[in-house]
Amino acid sequence: MSAQDVPAIRTAGLGKRYGSLWALRDCSVSVPRGRVTALVGPNGAGKTTLLKILVGLSAPSAGEASVLGRPPGQTTEFLASIGYLAQDLPLYSRLSVADHLEIGANLNRAWDAAGARARLAGLGIPEDRRVSALSGGQRAQVGLSMALAKRPRVLVLDEPVAALDPLARREFLASLTEAVADGDLSVIMSSHLLHDLQRVCDHIILLAASRTQLTGDIDHVLRTHRWLLGPRRKATDIEPGIEVIKATQTANQTRLLARLSGPVLDPRWEITEVGLEDIVLAYMGQDDARTAGPLTTARPVR
Amino acid sequence: MNALIWRLHRNQAYTAGAALAALTCLLLLTGITMAHDYHAFLASCGTTRSCGDATQLLFRGDGAITTLVDATMAVPLLLGVFWGAPMLARELETGTHNLAWTQGVTRRGWLSRNVLWALAAAAAFGTATAVLVSWWRGPQNAVGVPVRLATFTFDIQGIMPAAYTVFAVALGIAAGTIFKRVLPAMAVTFTAFAGLRFLIAEYARPHYLTAITKSLPPFSGNQAAPAGSWVLSNATLGPNGRNYTTGISYQDTPAACRSLGQQAARQNSCLSSHGFHTLITYQPASRFWALQGIEAGIFIALAAALIILAYRVVLTRDA
Repeated sequence: MSAQDVPAIRTAGLGKRYGSLWALRDCSVSVPRGRVTALVGPNGAGKTTLLKILVGLSAPSAGEASVLGRPPGQTTEFLASIGYLAQDLPLYSRLSVADHLEIGANLNRAWDAAGARARLAGLGIPEDRRVSALSGGQRAQVGLSMALAKRPRVLVLDEPVAALDPLARREFLASLTEAVADGDLSVIMSSHLLHDLQRVCDHIILLAASRTQLTGDIDHVLRTHRWLLGPRRKATDIEPGIEVIKATQTANQTRLLARLSGPVLDPRWEITEVGLEDIVLAYMGQDDARTAGPLTTARPVR
Repeated sequence: MNALIWRLHRNQAYTAGAALAALTCLLLLTGITMAHDYHAFLASCGTTRSCGDATQLLFRGDGAITTLVDATMAVPLLLGVFWGAPMLARELETGTHNLAWTQGVTRRGWLSRNVLWALAAAAAFGTATAVLVSWWRGPQNAVGVPVRLATFTFDIQGIMPAAYTVFAVALGIAAGTIFKRVLPAMAVTFTAFAGLRFLIAEYARPHYLTAITKSLPPFSGNQAAPAGSWVLSNATLGPNGRNYTTGISYQDTPAACRSLGQQAARQNSCLSSHGFHTLITYQPASRFWALQGIEAGIFIALAAALIILAYRVVLTRDA
């Protein structure tokens, strides 16, 4: 296997238990290098837990994880290969932006000081300003600059835009896109604001109820999911190539959000394209659907 | 790593430095006067051959300074609570450890550098106050008042302040890593430090070395012990072993001694010949450094155990 084939992120049966509660369970994903991955899922789905395991802040209780072929851990080589921006953008609030850059230069061997300063200057963020005096968007940019200045190969961002206003969010994502275009960088970014991520991301991992529900390139996901509208029918009347993710019934109609493994044979279905947001919501709502309707045959996709 | 630690803790360092500078000025000014008075007194002693009471001289007009010197006893506690406890607890509470632990330095390296700087600063600060106080107390120690081994004077001189401060800061660091929050870590550090210091000073220190027991004439005072001794107990016992420390009743006084009631010296020598005596136990002044070494060893060992605990917590716990 050549270096290019080593996935940026690979997990197998990964699980994390806190006491008797599983925060993440049986998570198996493989993200090729160079992708910008959206990690989506409702609150409490295990997104933060997965990301913390990937950057070596948390140790898994089951299964294994590797980043660029290496298990996350406390070695300088591993730490140098990742960039991490934690939830709530932790920065030293009493220190200035310049202090942070100095600290970064001090703690990292391959530190791109000039690049970080140029980025911040370009965004109009004054270096002598205390972090506590910055806006949320500026803080996020400082955090991103810190993470990028490490020259990481894998960038891990945990809800980086959650607290930002729409303009700051757009600016942040534009900065990120620019950074990705610049070099050999894989990104995984969690969020529950799918709409924003869709413009930036080309890969998706959907976690819900502590498990992986969906993973793959976004293009592929969009190609394989469709709305099907047709006369009302029973679950047993649906052909095997159609995997029902979500179904709604009216008196005489059945509407399915389905994952298709091939062409649909039944001509009575009216087929339309599905947006990513609808697909994600359908997977998130699967647990409800399973108990509500008799139609669903869907199971979690691994 | 050093830049990170300095940037995060420079304000505390400035505050502590300023406080130390102020203390230095005060003690230098008053200490020089006191040393001068003492040497003048010794010189006049030598020529007139009558010394009088040197202790009067040493406390002239400096009551507030003496209080301040006694107050340096709080230095280790203050550094433990306001320096040691928040050091890592603040990072864990505000989440900045997530930033620090994903830079190019391992967690072990991060902790080592923090611990090293904190303990070095603690030892340096404790040593500085101890040197100042020991020098200032020089004339008083020479006169033997207050007794250098006694609680309050023992604790602020020699190597104790450095040992206590290292322990207090180690305690703060360990509490900070365990509780992950600033206020609980501070509260625990305060309580545990104050409690342990009290228990050890009160119940362990008198017994590090077997105290010397001396039999003296009945109703001898503590001043009958050798100069500078730390008197631990003083009891007057009768021939039957009964304790008469608080006095002896007419009935218990042997008949031969009863008529001498008005003259204490003669009555005491009479009682002495009837088997009454005072047992005094004490630690002699010469044991000052031995006792300091033992107690400092205890606190340094405890500090080492707490640092090991902090390592275990930081290296094994999830962020």
